[in-house]
Amino acid sequence: MAEWGELADALADYTVNCNGNERLRKMQRDWSRTLHFICSDTGTTFSMMVERGEIQSAPEGHVGTPDIVVTAASETFCDMFWGDLNPVQKYLRGEITVKGSQEDVMRLDAISFVIWPDA
Amino acid sequence: MADAATAHPVGMALRRSIGTATATATSAGLAFAAIDYLGVVSVLAYAPAATAIPAIFIGGVIVLLVSGIFSELNGLYPSAAGIRLYLGRTVGDRTALAVTFTYMTTVVLVIAADAFLIGAAVRHVLREPAVLAYVWIAVLLGLATGANLRGVRLAGWVQTVVTYTVLGGTAVLSVVAIFHVGGAFRHPFDLFGKGGFSSIQAVAFALFLYAAFEWVTTTAEEARTPPVITRALFIAPVLIWLASSLFALGLAHLVPFSHLHGSAYPQLLLGQAALGTVGELWMLALTVLTALNTFNGGFLVASRFIYAAAREGNLPRPFARLNLQAVPWLAVTSLALVSAAVAAVVFATGQWLLLVAVGATIEAGIYALGSLCVVVLRRRETRERPFRLIAGKPLAVFGIVLFSVLFIATGFSDPKNAHHLSVAPISVIVVLASLSTAYVLIVVPRLRAAAAARAATARPRRRPPRPATEAEGPPPPSIRPPSDVPR
Repeated sequence: MAEWGELADALADYTVNCNGNERLRKMQRDWSRTLHFICSDTGTTFSMMVERGEIQSAPEGHVGTPDIVVTAASETFCDMFWGDLNPVQKYLRGEITVKGSQEDVMRLDAISFVIWPDA
Repeated sequence: MADAATAHPVGMALRRSIGTATATATSAGLAFAAIDYLGVVSVLAYAPAATAIPAIFIGGVIVLLVSGIFSELNGLYPSAAGIRLYLGRTVGDRTALAVTFTYMTTVVLVIAADAFLIGAAVRHVLREPAVLAYVWIAVLLGLATGANLRGVRLAGWVQTVVTYTVLGGTAVLSVVAIFHVGGAFRHPFDLFGKGGFSSIQAVAFALFLYAAFEWVTTTAEEARTPPVITRALFIAPVLIWLASSLFALGLAHLVPFSHLHGSAYPQLLLGQAALGTVGELWMLALTVLTALNTFNGGFLVASRFIYAAAREGNLPRPFARLNLQAVPWLAVTSLALVSAAVAAVVFATGQWLLLVAVGATIEAGIYALGSLCVVVLRRRETRERPFRLIAGKPLAVFGIVLFSVLFIATGFSDPKNAHHLSVAPISVIVVLASLSTAYVLIVVPRLRAAAAARAATARPRRRPPRPATEAEGPPPPSIRPPSDVPR
């Protein structure tokens, strides 16, 4: 199980990779969403605010009203944000669950696919 | 690891979510496509005149069983990937994948059929030469592809308005047509008028009128609460039943059947018979409106399925490539090309009723499998369901038998001649299923082996190793764990 500190490190790396990727920023330029995350094993929660494709912040706890809610094990989140796993495989096995529109779910996966195409 | 499905935040309020009216419109809109007008003709082929009404009613009652089955399965797996999950846990991952690939071909068939039918209807109203129908097909598919590639989506409320307009417009024109008939309905309860087996085939084709209504379960993740999808699954069939019954009654009494079974636009014939040119244009407008739902919903569902399959490693990776609008462009383009090819074959052969028979057969098969899933998962999944079918096991066993019989009834049907059995529908399905199975058994393992090889030679694990503690044992390995390699 991963603690918040590990998740925060993973999120920080993810934020740098996302915001530094020109193609991704262009692709997500019309995508502004609030994401909530829930660790199913530890109960840790955190949020991510995306504004026109740029991750503004990723604080602990739930902030604002979400557009998407993602639930998974803390280890899955850590590996996902470090780009060490393919989120679609976990999603299709039911190990990641999502509440939100299909379009937003695909956009979320697209981030991982664009910044880590070999994951 | 805890299964995330058990911790699904069902009570979490989303900023944008869909309620019962939108979900019902989505369900009814996915089911009620232009091909449904031909579905009614197929019912009339086996149930003479007003007998279509009890046939469509019985089909509707059976569909309520399907509603219960899919409500329970959707409650267990409220996900766009639901069908893969519950089929996978019932019959295994490979079979689930092969079935899902076959199921998805119905989307292509419906897109192709609708493109053809709308093209034929537009050409008919404009009194153009027959060959121009294919130009209209190409134009329609081109517009749909362009809109999809540019990331254009129908807003939820537009989809809702379109669906209720199509259903309401069809019902109103049918009522006007019925006024021409008065109360002189022919053959009101003649279920065996075309042979003993014809009643079963009539009900099987009636089932097709509701086909695809269960696809609303793919929107479960956006539903405000779990009962929203359940309510939609039970309300949408009632709306389709009303519109289809009225349409069948008007059609059977105002247009001779000899004109119907050779026509790709029975709705225009009814419009013409009921209100002249105004009625014809009315039905043409409704037909074109159905395209909005079919092309928007069909392209979206199928292209996202292709994207997910490619990301999972079950289709070649290029199918997951995204354009700058975050649209899987190769998936959308391939879908359009295959649909155009199927539409061309239909155009050249005139076998549009065969598409209805194939679609009806596949749906009956999927409903039988859904029933099987309920029986098996009642044993394997003990967790609470938001919806639990009353007398679920006996009803699901009944569903397996019933839908298997309907599968055979439609699989060997010939809607152009009720007294004749044809192997054409079942042959098409056998070919589709064989291709899917061969693909899953031969190509998918190679794709996965290639993915595994790529993963082995790719960059090392990025996540830094965790400092070892006695309680936790050794730190995570520096290469990615095998669980991340597609299985």
